[in-house]
Amino acid sequence: MPVGLLQIRGLSKVFVLHNIAERRVVALDGVDIDVPEGEHVALAGDSGAGKSTLLRCVYRTCVPTSGSIRFGGIELTSLSDSQMADLREVHIGYVSQFLRAEPRRGVVDVVARSGMRGGLDPEAASEAAGDALRRVGITEPLWDTYPSLLSGGEKQRVGLAAAIVRAPKLLLLDEPVASLDPANRESVLDLIASLRERGVTVLSVFHDTGAIARLADRVVLLRSGRIVEQGPAEHILPLLAAVPA
Amino acid sequence: MRETETWALSVQGLTKSYGGRLAVDDVSFNVAPGEALGIVGESGSGKTSVLRCLAGDLDEDSGRAYMSGLDGGQTNIFSLTPAERRALRVSRLAMVYQDPALGLDLGISAGGNVAERLTAAGWRSFGAIRQRAAHLLERTEVPRERMDDLVSTFSGGMRQRVQLAKALATNPPVLLLDEPTTGLDASVAAGVLDLIRDLLAEFRLAAVVVSHDFSVIELLTRRVMVMHNGRVVETGLTDQLLADPQDAYSQRLVAAARS
Amino acid sequence: MSLNALLEDTGSADNGYGSGIMDEHTKRDIRRALLSAVAVPGYQVPFGSREMPVARGWGSGGLQITLAIVGDADVVKVIDQGDDAGVNATNLRRLIVGSTGAAETTVTAEASIIQTRHRIPEEPLKSDQILVLQVPVPEPLRGVERDMRELRRMHAEDDYARLWVSLYEDKVRNGVITRTTGYPCMIGGRYVMATTPIPRWDCPKLHQAHHLSLFGAGREKRIYAVPPYTDVEPVTFDDVPFEVERSPGRCDRCGAVGWTESFLIEVPNSRTWVCSDTDYCARRRLKDRRVKA
Repeated sequence: MPVGLLQIRGLSKVFVLHNIAERRVVALDGVDIDVPEGEHVALAGDSGAGKSTLLRCVYRTCVPTSGSIRFGGIELTSLSDSQMADLREVHIGYVSQFLRAEPRRGVVDVVARSGMRGGLDPEAASEAAGDALRRVGITEPLWDTYPSLLSGGEKQRVGLAAAIVRAPKLLLLDEPVASLDPANRESVLDLIASLRERGVTVLSVFHDTGAIARLADRVVLLRSGRIVEQGPAEHILPLLAAVPA
Repeated sequence: MRETETWALSVQGLTKSYGGRLAVDDVSFNVAPGEALGIVGESGSGKTSVLRCLAGDLDEDSGRAYMSGLDGGQTNIFSLTPAERRALRVSRLAMVYQDPALGLDLGISAGGNVAERLTAAGWRSFGAIRQRAAHLLERTEVPRERMDDLVSTFSGGMRQRVQLAKALATNPPVLLLDEPTTGLDASVAAGVLDLIRDLLAEFRLAAVVVSHDFSVIELLTRRVMVMHNGRVVETGLTDQLLADPQDAYSQRLVAAARS
Repeated sequence: MSLNALLEDTGSADNGYGSGIMDEHTKRDIRRALLSAVAVPGYQVPFGSREMPVARGWGSGGLQITLAIVGDADVVKVIDQGDDAGVNATNLRRLIVGSTGAAETTVTAEASIIQTRHRIPEEPLKSDQILVLQVPVPEPLRGVERDMRELRRMHAEDDYARLWVSLYEDKVRNGVITRTTGYPCMIGGRYVMATTPIPRWDCPKLHQAHHLSLFGAGREKRIYAVPPYTDVEPVTFDDVPFEVERSPGRCDRCGAVGWTESFLIEVPNSRTWVCSDTDYCARRRLKDRRVKA
């Protein structure tokens, strides 16, 4: 049994909207998840189930309300912001359907900088950036283009390249192929599949079940912030079809 | 993983009141080398006063501030004599002001403004001063042929570039930026922000960036503090604070910025 | 009066210093300021500048110093642009000699007190001579800062960065440092002092001089001093040597070489040059005649 790289216990997230009559929105409600090292765990469920919130709690773009998130033995919720920022830069990648890239910077530069923040020296970073971009199918003519000028699919692939330029221990994927055309979608899925060989552990959210079936070792089905079912993809995916969209 | 508990600047319990009002109320924070910390808030929140106290432009009422590069972080910079504070400003702690007239002498050349910092640091060779000034101005993208022009003839964006060149003249480990692009045209501001971000990384500066503008904070910093009525109401990672602000005031501020 | 005498208590009215146009209390006040100035070379000491029977700006500061230190045994020389016969010099000399028991001279070597505007005599002064300079602008940082508090701070903290910047700007704009009269000098490695109103030519004469130099600014109410054997270093960059003005000719009267021997002034509309220091020029001519005779 592989060691759980990511171990989530009793994770809850309640959004408190102070300015809308203190309204409380429960997004996660006592979630336990184990992601073994080197495995790919996919989160499934309808929209509003809490999938993205869970990824964001791990990455700390959301502040968990309660619960424990252990990553390689470190309790993330007790790290200071600086420590968390350092940890992210080196060990945790996060790719969403929206690329948060620095404006006025060529894409190869965006990716290389991500590598440098992760500890690569400038030369190695720019070499690794080229490799990563080729692997996501962004070819050299686009390397000096500003990300803002790219198509949605291209942006998404640049974001993925930035996340994998220096193989993170944990990769959080939030709809990473949502904007891709079928051909690019296939090649990105190939790339994600190949990360397994580099020992990258993945926690993902995919819209389409095909991707989940192909990549995930295990699927966790969420509904209204709770886990309703989990297990191998072939057991869970049929349930998913039964969930009203 | 980088040593996380190291800091270049550590501020503890900074308090300042004037006009019978607490402008800065018990503010504490650390900034690591190579890290930019943002301070956001509305005007009057006390964010600029924090910088002014650190720079020595305002006298604090109480609190302590340490720099790791000064006596191994053992000396409270607020306890230094005025002359020592001035020396600190020259060599270790630079500030870029929203109003270039506060950071520059507009009546002398761009090169002369950089030269002032260098001569204050003891540089006495004209050739070396000139070379260093030219290098810094080139780095901050001030055209070489404008080096000897009076700063009063420069545009707002160009003045901020000269301020940056002057601030970096002596390779200080800590840089304070007070609304560095407020008042500039959007496209000019974007260029200056780009430059600042590059410089922060290149010089591995510990920076404190004060702005009322979330887009500036988002671009430059990885951690942020929200100030309201002199107090820090929330701190967090910059992307977290923008996505999931916790405090009622922060939520209002973020919602206003997003609308 | 010698430096030693200056340092002695000179409080009583019948001590041989005469009475004249300045009362003994005033003299004592000024002498106190002078002692402070000598004790802190180059530092501007404020003093209670009095009304003098000459207009401020016409040497009232120098006159007050001279009157405060002159005694019956003194021999006084007064020059204006190096010239003993200038109207202002003549008037001041008559005023000093007429109101005190001092004697007058135009011969540099004979004088115990030399009051001057614009020049230091070419002939090196000796340790028993005192040079009194009439100063129009005592503040060397006037061109870079006007706020008095800030000026005091800059001197106090030895913060001369902006003076250096003004030299940088001068050099950038003009290719050379153009400042001529009143060149700023570092005195004793601590205070920057205005050498107004002497030309650069005269600055090296202050460095490690045998004599005492006293500077008086009547309008600005400041006294400062360069004691004997004090370092006087013109403020300049390491790689931009300080250079004095050198006239490209010879003195039309005594033949002194403007490049090396004497500070020459151009005779208007004549393309000829003459020594600014008239006593020096006369002495050279006298010597020539003796040699020829």
